[in-house]
Order: sequence, then C-alpha cells, then structure tokens
Amino acid sequence: MSDRSQLIETGKPFAFDAQRDAEFERLATRYPTRESLILPSLWLVQEQEGWISAEAMAYIADRIGTYASMVYEAATFYTMYNLQPKGKVHICVCRTLSCYLLGKQEIVDYLQRELGIKPGEVSADSQYSLEEVECLGHCGTAPVVQINGEFYENMNVEKLKDLLATLK
Amino acid sequence: MQVQVLSARFDIPDAHRIEVAKEHGAYATLEKVFSMQPEEVIETVKASGLRGRGGAGFPTGLKWSFLPKGLDKPVYLAVNSDESEPATFKDRYILVRDPHLLIEGIIICCYAIKSHAAYIYIRGEYTTQVKALQAAIDEAYAAGYLGESVGGRDFKLDVTVHRGAGAYVCGEETALLESIEGRKGQPRSKPPFPAVEGLYGCPTIINNVQSIASLPFILTNGPDAYKAYGTEKSPGTHLFGISGLVKKPGMYELPLGLPILEVIDKVAGGLRDGRTLKGIIPGGSSTPVLTPEEAQDVTLDYESMAAHKTMFGSGGIVVLDDTVDMVKLVENLISFYHHESCGQCTPCREGLGWMLKIVKKILRGEGTTADIDLLTELCDNIEGKTVCVLSAACTMSTRSYLNKFRHEFEAYVHSGAPVQAAM
Amino acid sequence: MAEKIKLFVNGQEVEVESGKNLIDALGAVGIEIPHLCYHPALGADGNCRLCLVGIEDGRPPVVPACKTRAAEGMKVLLDVDNIKRIQRNVMELELINHPIDCPICDQAGECKLQDFYMKYDGQKSRMSVKPVLKAKKMDFGCGVVHDQERCVLCARCVRFTRLITKTGELGIVNRTDAARVNTFPGRPLNNRYALNVVDLCPVGAMTSSDFRFKQRAWFLTKSPGICHGCSKGCNIYIDHNREKYRDDVIYRFRPRLNAQVNGYFMCDAGRMTYKLENDNRLAAARVGEKSVELAEAVEAVRRAVSQAKKIVMVVSPNCSLEQMHAVQALAGQCNAAVSGYSDGYVQQGDGDDFLIQDDKAANRASFAILGIDSGKAGFDQAIAGADLLISFQNDLTRSLENDTLFEKTQFVLIGSYENDCAARAAISLPVASYSEDTGMVVNCDGILQEYRAAVGKISPAPSLIEVVHQLGGPFSTRDEVLADLTANVAALGGVDLKHIPAAGTALTANEVSNVAA
Repeated sequence: MSDRSQLIETGKPFAFDAQRDAEFERLATRYPTRESLILPSLWLVQEQEGWISAEAMAYIADRIGTYASMVYEAATFYTMYNLQPKGKVHICVCRTLSCYLLGKQEIVDYLQRELGIKPGEVSADSQYSLEEVECLGHCGTAPVVQINGEFYENMNVEKLKDLLATLK
Repeated sequence: MQVQVLSARFDIPDAHRIEVAKEHGAYATLEKVFSMQPEEVIETVKASGLRGRGGAGFPTGLKWSFLPKGLDKPVYLAVNSDESEPATFKDRYILVRDPHLLIEGIIICCYAIKSHAAYIYIRGEYTTQVKALQAAIDEAYAAGYLGESVGGRDFKLDVTVHRGAGAYVCGEETALLESIEGRKGQPRSKPPFPAVEGLYGCPTIINNVQSIASLPFILTNGPDAYKAYGTEKSPGTHLFGISGLVKKPGMYELPLGLPILEVIDKVAGGLRDGRTLKGIIPGGSSTPVLTPEEAQDVTLDYESMAAHKTMFGSGGIVVLDDTVDMVKLVENLISFYHHESCGQCTPCREGLGWMLKIVKKILRGEGTTADIDLLTELCDNIEGKTVCVLSAACTMSTRSYLNKFRHEFEAYVHSGAPVQAAM
Repeated sequence: MAEKIKLFVNGQEVEVESGKNLIDALGAVGIEIPHLCYHPALGADGNCRLCLVGIEDGRPPVVPACKTRAAEGMKVLLDVDNIKRIQRNVMELELINHPIDCPICDQAGECKLQDFYMKYDGQKSRMSVKPVLKAKKMDFGCGVVHDQERCVLCARCVRFTRLITKTGELGIVNRTDAARVNTFPGRPLNNRYALNVVDLCPVGAMTSSDFRFKQRAWFLTKSPGICHGCSKGCNIYIDHNREKYRDDVIYRFRPRLNAQVNGYFMCDAGRMTYKLENDNRLAAARVGEKSVELAEAVEAVRRAVSQAKKIVMVVSPNCSLEQMHAVQALAGQCNAAVSGYSDGYVQQGDGDDFLIQDDKAANRASFAILGIDSGKAGFDQAIAGADLLISFQNDLTRSLENDTLFEKTQFVLIGSYENDCAARAAISLPVASYSEDTGMVVNCDGILQEYRAAVGKISPAPSLIEVVHQLGGPFSTRDEVLADLTANVAALGGVDLKHIPAAGTALTANEVSNVAA
C-alpha cells in the first residue's frame, strides 16, 4: 500500500447535503454506538462528492462526536475510500490469482498505454482513473474489471476498447 | 454431479422478489421454527452436521451452543458477507439470486440464539449485490418478516447492512466486529471469544452467508435430509467456485466428497486444449497447493483435504496448468496478503513485506539460494506468532509452493530466468 | 495484601501475586519477559508479539504473556529453544525496517530495541532489500517530535491519548507496513500531558524537542525527586549530569512511578520546571546592589534582626516541612510573627481531574500540620507597622497587590531563585533549592514524601536550615529538626520521620485535623 495519509484539503468547509443528512440520522438509529457511524459516514461523503477531503473527515468526526484521528484511521485503512478525486470513469482492474492467470496484465498494460496513466493516477483531463485492486470475487468470469461500481466480466482488451467507447 | 439444494431458486426468474420467492417456498419454515424451542433449533442444526462455509469449517450448531446462558446482554448475529478470499465467489449469488433465502436463514438463526439484531457485513466492492440485498430486506420489513413482530409473532428482529470498504482482513470474524464498531479491521486477541464478548462487548455469533442460507433447507427437511448429501463428517452441499485455467469456470453447487479431479474434468470442462495439469489450489488462495499426483485421491471434503495437508477452505478451486510460472504466482499471492495485512502485529506487518521483496528480488534474477531458504524460514518464523491467521494464510500457501515447486525458484536463482515460457 | 499463588517458570517453582498478567506477576519477582506494547497504565494490546511464552500442556501452547493471567500451577516456559527462537525472530522482524539511527537518536542508552536486541537477539542483519521509508522529525505539537521510521507501532502513544488524556490526537493510519502514527491535519497534540508519550515510547519515535540532542542518556545520573510545580507532588527522576568544565545541570525531569500519588505520569508544566532549577538562580549573596560573601550578608541580616522592632518571617509553601519548622523556631526566638501568606501561588480553576492542582506549591499542607497561619488577614496584621520582613523562598510579588510594602519595610530574601522578589530585597542570601537538598513535603492528598539531594553544584549554596541556624535558630542540623518534629507535632506522632517509605506515607485524617489551623 502506498501512503494514504497525505490528505487533501479543499479549503472549504464540508457538510452533508439534505439527502445524506437524512440518511445519517436514519443510520444513527441502527447502531448502539456513535462510532459505528464512521464507515457509513465515509461512504455518504463519497457518494456525495466522489472522494473524501480532510474537511469532510473533520466534519464526520465532529458530527459523530468522535476523535478526528479515528475517522482518519478508518479513511486511510480501507482502500475503497477515495482520498483524492477520481476520474469520471474510474476503472478498477482485479489483479489477483485467477484474474492474474487469465490476463489482467494485458488489460492493465493496454489501459496504461491508451489512457496515458499508471495505476493510482488520474488522467490530466479528469476523464479516467486507473487502479489495480485485489480479488473482486468474480473469479469464475475472470478477468474482471469494475468501472464506477459496475462489474464487467470475461474482459479482454477488445471488449474493453468497445466498453470505454460507450462510457465516454 | 451438480445439485440444487442451496441454489434451488437461483434459476427461477425474479426469485429475488419476495412474491416469487414465497411462491417457491421462502419463509415457509418459520411456522415450524417458531413452534420449536430455540434450543431445539440449535440441536437440529447440530444434528445436521453443518460446518461453517466461510473457510474454517467449524460446526455451526456447536458454535451457537457456546453462547453463555443467562447473561444480561443482547446477543448479536453478524453475517459474514465479506467474501474476499481469492478464488471465492459463491456468497454473492445468494445475495443477488435468492436474498430471501438468506433473510429466512437469519430469522431462524436469530430465533435460535435469541438475538434481535443482525448485521450483515458486506464487502464494499459488492455494489450491485448490496442493492439487491437491501431491496430484499426492505421487502421483508414491508411484509412483516423483519421488524417489531416477525411473522406476526412476539419476536423482534432488526437487520442492518454494514458495508466494508476494501479490506480482506475484515473477513476475519473479530476484524469484522471491529469494522462494524467503526474502527480499523484489526483482529482482536482470543480469548475472549466473540460468543462471550463480541460486538459491542456482547455475546455474538458470526456466520458465513452460505452457512446461514443453509438453514431453511435443514429446518424444512430435517438434519437427515441434509446429511443425505456429502460424507459422514462433511455432510451437505457447497457452492464450489472453479476458476483458473479450465474450460468452464463458474459456480457449481455440489455435494461434498466428490473427487477433485473428476469435478474439474466433468463439471468444469477440464483443462484447456493441449495443456497439462501442474497444480490445484483446492479451497481459496490460502490453502496449500496440490500437485497432480497428490490430487489423484483428494475428495472435496474437510477430512480428505486435511489428510493431504491442505484445507477445504472456501471451496474456491483454482486450476493451474503448465503455462503457470509458480514463482510469479507466489509473488501475486504474497503481494495480495501483504497489501491486505492490517498492520497491527509485528510478524505479519514487517514479515510479509520482507517476503514480498525477497520474491521480487528472485524474480529480478538477483536472488540467491540463501534467499529461497530465508523465504522458507520466514514462513516458519511468522506463522503462529500473530494475532490472527492472515499471516498463516500467506505462509502456509507460500510454503507449499516452495516445497513442491522449489526447482522453479532455483531456476531463477541459477539462471535468472523462469523454468519455462512464463505467462 | 494480594493473594499469592505458586506457578512454575522453566521448571522452577515461583511464588507470585495472583490477579496479574504474567508480565507483571513474573516481573515483580525479577523474571523479565520482553515486551514493547504492554504498559500497566494502558493495558495489553498484544501487537508486538515479543512477550510470547510457552505454557506446558497449554492450549494454545504459546500465548502472549500480557494477555495471560498467572494461574496456580501454570507451567511457564521462557528459557527454552522455541521461545528463545520466537524472541529472536520477532526482534529480527522489528529491526528489518528500523533505521539504525542510534548515533543521532536521543533514545540510545534507554532504548528497548537496543536492550532487547542485546539480550534476546544478537544476530546480524539479513536484510538485503530496501527497507520501508517514512517521515522523520515531525512536529506533533507540545514539544513532541515524531519519527515514523523508528516507530514500532506499539500504539502506546495512541492508547495514552485515548485512554488517559481522552484527547485522541494520535492515531495509526494506513495498514500493512505503510502503517504509521500521525495527527489529523490541523489537530496536533494539544493537552497538558502530551510529553508523557516521550516516556511511554519504548524507542526513539517520540522524543522531546526540549531535550533533543542535549545529553546522552548514559551520562545522566537519574536521581529520585519530587516535582514542586504544584501540590500533587508527582514523583520524578531528576536526570542530571556534571560535564567536564561545567556545573552539575539538570537535563530533564521524568515521572517516577508512585501508585498512590501520580501513577506513571506527570504534567508537561511540571516536567518543564527543571529549567527553574538550572537558570536564573540566586547565585551570590547581595547587600543592596553589591554581591558579597555569604558571611557578610548573614551578618547584615543578624544586625537587622537585632535592631528591628517588629519582625515578620514569611515562609513559602514550597519550603520543606523541616525548613518551615526551623523558621518557626527561629521566629519564636526573635519574637517574630510567622506567616505562610501565598495566595498568589494558587491559580483558581487551573487544576483538572487528573494530576494538575490549582495550588502551584508543593507543601502548603504542612502549614496546617505546623500551625502556620497563611491567611491574608493574618499577614496584613503582622505586617502592619513591621520594620523587618524576611522571606524564606516565598515570592511575595505573586501575592501582593502592590509594591508599597517593600518601600515601607526592610526586606530580606533568603531563597534560591532570581525573581522579582529578589530584585526588591535589601539583602538576599542564596540557599540550596529542593533539587539540591533533602526534605519532606506533604501533598494535596495528605501524603508525606521525602526528597533527597540530587544535584551537586560545584559551589553549593548552604541549606536553608543551616542559614536559619546561622541567624540564631536552635537547630543546627536537619536531624535535630526531625527530632523536634517527632516530639512536638501531634500530626506526625506516629510517623518514623527518619525512614519514610519510598512511595510516601499517608498521614491519616485524624493526625492532620488534630492541628489547629
């Protein structure tokens, strides 16, 4: 894992929008402790903004009533939380075991060439971001790629080409 | 060879919708279950011989019976839907194709263990699956199967879905609890065990999705019907995932106890044309690899696997053929475990990183025989000295490749190149 | 008195206290189990894995000692091959990414990694690959400097800020070997006990910017003492050294364990009072503006005393019990009034619910024991028409509303510190401070503690008791004062003043309240 602890500050305060605010209050009734809201709150921020800034973490901590360091720990520990803005098309290529055996590297190499970015990076025009992720639990249909949350199975370079064209 | 016990409703169109599921028997056991004493339900599950389907294979009914009696604390159920062990891809079918099977199983379990609050811990990557699951839960609440009075009975049950966010270690039961409580998924020392002190310090049962989903069949048809499948000590069926270098990879429900080579050939279509078998990972990446010779008399059950010094695990079978460079495969696996280490305890945190760097060094052609020996020794130095078994998952599997395919590592050391044309 | 149980260590029977974990139980009888993350004040975390011990016939056979309660008949295996191998291997793994900063690391000489390496490891490094690199020399606030590379991730500092100060500034972010300690951006360490993490840290990951690079630990003499920053009387180590061509100087205070008084910790403000012992000391006797020999100044004071019509002697609440009593005796002989007036030493509302007290003096409780009035009314009455005021360590400028007193009354200061008060004195005499002298103080909870002379200056100032004797007081030595205290002060009747236990002795409520205020 690379260091995820260098947080980005937007310079503006953060707050939940009305929908997230209501959802937060609803979730607060589902757990006996406030700390349990840390992971769900980080997801709410990510749903709202696409990524999680330092201000958002501070907001969550104060809203929940816990230490900012607790939120900081969770945000950096769990790799699905985006701590920087991602591309409009966020491509996650599974890199483990079966996907590895069935050609994930070809897919990664193609995307690197095509999009001009390495795993972990965002393209200059903010259109694309690329990541290699660990086993996505779709081994029977490897190689598998997850783009903006959707699973695309039995992928190869050809199919990926077509897919990216449709996602533009 | 395939059966449809757990997957009975999988192929029925729209079986995820409560009306369709009910038409085909969903929630039908509840009448019978609520007429039993909770202890009777536990005994039934015990009698069925159901073993935990998450990978450890611990007898489910026995685990439930560890709950202390007469404690003045709420009991929790945590359903483990983290499914992150590489090669494992079974539980998500239940979530998408027959979520009401899971919900019914949760009701049965919670009634038996006297729990009124269940948390389903689902891995963050399962985006479509969590939507399907939540939709089913909402349907169940609307229909009165969850909430203040389940099925009109004096039994309250709340189910909450808690999303993970990209950590394999949260499949470990105590790390899962930590994650629900808002913390990093760093496993706890045991004792105390979750059955005594678990979620929020209260008695907690953690069961895999498939284990819970097996309950309706057992309660409907009785333990003997379940034991009719599988072997004496490994009864029942399992959703096996077969992947890797086979013609028909996929999820197949099979009774336990079938010969592994036969399953690979007959169910998964066998190897690709012109290829020979090199090895089989029998139950998820953490299980020691089997050579073709060893696999000759291996059957898909806990006992046979243990006898061959590997594990049944999650039933995620990966087939390796002669195109696979075992050293690169080991790099891929160690890299996975290193990335997923929670970082809490010294041997795993520092040791897995060191192991990865040594393997990379060997792959670069800069390795020595001493490095191979060191890699082997580190497996022993790390294993068993840590808070949880993530490190053992890495070391046990790595050791098996070092032992059984050492010549491939030596080829890199002596010539700086792999044994054969690599991937 | 805790119950004792018998267990076996390496086959030998050992008697230990029941109810403790193996580290504490065996540590109390001199058997060391190496460990990094366990700390009695913070509980067991179980992450370092250094304390793994064997239990014969145990299930499991190897357990972390920090999480294992000592039980009757338990068969602990420490000095056996497999446990020794584990200790070596865990140490090896601790060290592979640890930067060998020893030559520039403050912790050298008092570092657990060094100590355990020497005792339990001793192997050469087998690292032929690049180590993990992290940030160094990070300013965490409150004078704490953090080095992420040196950190062994024992989490003691994190547990301290969450369990003890409950301020939660520290956390361990990332996972796997990218894990590191950090503060949240914009929320640095900000509590009054932050520097305790420097003591807690078993390695040089947490260091004090105040102490950084100043002195090597092995040169320091670690003398036990009592902090005089407030009435808690936290037990401390006075770490001092007399370098060649320099005087004996204190480099730092560290808390010393006392379960009755301060536990394992002390506050940052108290920790920094060591500077008051080093700098701005009253160095030479003065008459007017002129520095003079001590004898000349003493003579000047004796003359002033004999000529004065109304004398007031003010003692400081920081004087020791013996010093106060000696002054009392001197005052009796000179017909002087005695006051302990020192309201200015109390900062109302500053204390907290942990260690810090409002009263910033160490021994106010002794006023009641000795019957010394410290009220303003009494002082005002005493000072009215007085022509000689002698202060023993008491900085009256802290308590007085204005300076008019010094204009009307001849003022003598007998003390250790160069302060506003000393500047106003007609005659000033230096005396040994508490770090250079031996004495007893009673803290806010009625615990009597003894401190012993630690620092030995090249030209030591005389003790306050000696100066009082030179001024005409009846006691020539501290022992004589102790004898008089034992004989005449009811509250101290049951206490053997010559043998105060190291952890102090609690004066019972009866004894203290027997004395008239």
